[in-house]
Amino acid sequence: MNRELESLDAVFREMPDLKVEHTGPRRTRIQVEADALPTLLELLKGRAGYLHLSAISCVDWPDTEEFELVYHLWSYQVSNLISAHTRIPYDPGRYVSVYDLHAPAVYFERDIHEMFGVWFEGCPDQEPFILTEWQGPPPMRKSFDTVAYVNDTFEWREYQPEWANDPSGGKG
Amino acid sequence: MRPENYKPVQHSASHEYELYFGPNHPGIEGNYALKCVLSGDVVQSLRADGGYLHRGFEKIMEERLWIQNVALVPRICVPDPVPMEETYARAVEMLGGLEIPKRAQWIRALMLEASRVCAHLFYFGGHAATMGMYSNMFWGVTDRDLILDIFEEITGARIYHMYITPGGVRRDLPEGVLDRLSKVLDYVESRLPEFDNLFFDNAVVINRATGVGTLTTEQALSWGVTGPNLRACGLPFDVRRDDPYLIYDELDFDIPTETAGDAWARTLVRREELLQSIRILRQIIATLPKVGGPIRCALPNPLAWNVPAGSVYARTESSKGELGFFVVSKGGAKPWRVHVRGPSSMHAVHVLERLGPGSRLEDVAQIMFSLDACPPEVDR
Amino acid sequence: MSTDPNQAVACRTVDAEERSLLGRVLDRIADHCRARSLFVLHYCTGCGAIELPPTMTSRFDLERVGMQPMVTPRQADILLITGYLSVKTLKRVVMTYEQMQGPKYVIGLGSCTINGGMYWNSYATIKLLDRYIPVDNYIAGCMPRPEAIQQVFLDLMGRIDRGEAQAWKDYYRRYDWYLGQQQQLFGTNWQAPTDVVGEAIRYRLVGEQTLGSHTAHLERYAPYYDQLGIIRPEPARMKARPQLEVVSR
Repeated sequence: MNRELESLDAVFREMPDLKVEHTGPRRTRIQVEADALPTLLELLKGRAGYLHLSAISCVDWPDTEEFELVYHLWSYQVSNLISAHTRIPYDPGRYVSVYDLHAPAVYFERDIHEMFGVWFEGCPDQEPFILTEWQGPPPMRKSFDTVAYVNDTFEWREYQPEWANDPSGGKG
Repeated sequence: MRPENYKPVQHSASHEYELYFGPNHPGIEGNYALKCVLSGDVVQSLRADGGYLHRGFEKIMEERLWIQNVALVPRICVPDPVPMEETYARAVEMLGGLEIPKRAQWIRALMLEASRVCAHLFYFGGHAATMGMYSNMFWGVTDRDLILDIFEEITGARIYHMYITPGGVRRDLPEGVLDRLSKVLDYVESRLPEFDNLFFDNAVVINRATGVGTLTTEQALSWGVTGPNLRACGLPFDVRRDDPYLIYDELDFDIPTETAGDAWARTLVRREELLQSIRILRQIIATLPKVGGPIRCALPNPLAWNVPAGSVYARTESSKGELGFFVVSKGGAKPWRVHVRGPSSMHAVHVLERLGPGSRLEDVAQIMFSLDACPPEVDR
Repeated sequence: MSTDPNQAVACRTVDAEERSLLGRVLDRIADHCRARSLFVLHYCTGCGAIELPPTMTSRFDLERVGMQPMVTPRQADILLITGYLSVKTLKRVVMTYEQMQGPKYVIGLGSCTINGGMYWNSYATIKLLDRYIPVDNYIAGCMPRPEAIQQVFLDLMGRIDRGEAQAWKDYYRRYDWYLGQQQQLFGTNWQAPTDVVGEAIRYRLVGEQTLGSHTAHLERYAPYYDQLGIIRPEPARMKARPQLEVVSR
């Protein structure tokens, strides 16, 4: 087990710009620049055994007009979860796909493309999956107001308190 | 089902044809669709089409208070809702730096394992039904109902309990419920020989399920397979043991594995897991009366609770695989972002699309059920 | 030939007021029998479907009142909307509903079919089911217990037996309004393969709101209908709306 832990340190030595933080038991948080992230994932996979891409999460930060992409990687050998955080600007909202490293990435990248509108270069499949019949903007962006959309699109039923007393609606 | 812009197209004479498998189809699990291209009855290519159960959970959770989301999260996965509640509550506790009392941790583990037993009984029925064998469905669903009765006694609800809240659990266990749970477990265990006679030792079923949807170990690793499906390929990985949460490091249980990686191996793994869950539950039943103390830690006013800023990734072993909740707080009264990694999201889309081609049409439903793909947590 | 579409096609009528005494007696007998043999369409549209296996199988056992799941919409009597409907599912539900043969009944299961339930602020789900298809019975709750589902089935059986469950006729009589609500969500390009107007004429259920500005959008699909070989009402007959005699309920 120690061999893999040493190799993780070797990865960190090779990339001195990383901000590494141990946030809890079996949890490591890494802040990495956007252009260095694919290299980091490759080193983690090849040298430290982080084979399992658990998830890719996207967070919208409208204050700085940035998307934060978080890659959660798990190592079966050393039982540790690395969350690699990186930020990309709204404009142009493009990033590289890590499909060639981790095949499951295609599902998450497709999802992020659909929900946030981020385009992943090299991702083999970014067709709509969930929102095939959705015409509006990417709904997970903070600028999309779901309550306003619902009020515009749907009508509401009048509240009828007498139904509480007579659930059959007066039909018996 | 024809799409709205349907125009009849004259195809050239070809041996391939397209078949829409779902959403309105008895062989599909939940409300989900597969678009198959077939030649004869052999699947040439398969494309998953989801979103029929999309409710936009991740968006509407951003619109509600931390405590209001407790009511929302179990609805992400219908057959196995407790892990959703537990993982969300644990993520919020990790963000808020709360340490929950020991007794609450044991009660949570009890709920999680009972929910796993439920989900696996349901799975036996579902998998058998895809082979046209409905007796198993009747038995599994009826035995599962006995555990739902225990849930109802503890929480007041059969399916969506909303029992596990950030800080602990809502109320203590009623008097005598552990004895009744113990009896139910004895009964479920005594039923297993009957299930064996009908299903697990049935030559027809074994022939029908062996070699269907086979995953090799390398494929399973590179396609991100988790949970019982990964263990059916011979990899003994379990979040409960390797990334323990609650009191799982104090419990004694085995991690069953199989090596074949096909639909039958996946079913056998789940049969063993059912026994292991019963074993865990027995340990909990024996220990829980000795664990005293409160069931909740002190919370700030939940209606004006500003969870400290930060981000956390909480993981749970659900009955279908690895469940992850990535929760980001900006220090406000509402979550800034909640990302749900549905346990079967990888199985229902990525793995199914790759396992499908080459199999026969009648096995597609079986592959989907044997992966225990759960559409609501894919669509969220 | 008369311009009244309710008289134009000589076929059976389903309007009780036009039936002869013998016809009405036969209808009552048919209703009585129908109420005891209902097939529920096997379509899990939402999370309420998880309470259906317990309801159908050994513990609560709905088969003893003559109900059982049916796999194809064309032979099913009841369309059970088990919970929330996303817009994407609603399209399939409307297509399924139109494929079912009359008389057909819709039950909305759970609070989310009544007023959106806890998904009231979700951009993906619809809020009021009865805007898009006519609903016979609702069950409140999230989610309703198997006992409640049983109760609503028994209630529906009673109403069918008494000849009161007539909501499906409303879909033909006010098709233009329902189609308008559907078009509001799906866009005016929306079309389902079923020729509802033609069925309304056959059933003699053309009302004053069967045709209107919304059904006029369907005319552009006429060439496709021809290619599919679907018999549809002649345009002249469809345009004869102002002269229609209104059939009241």
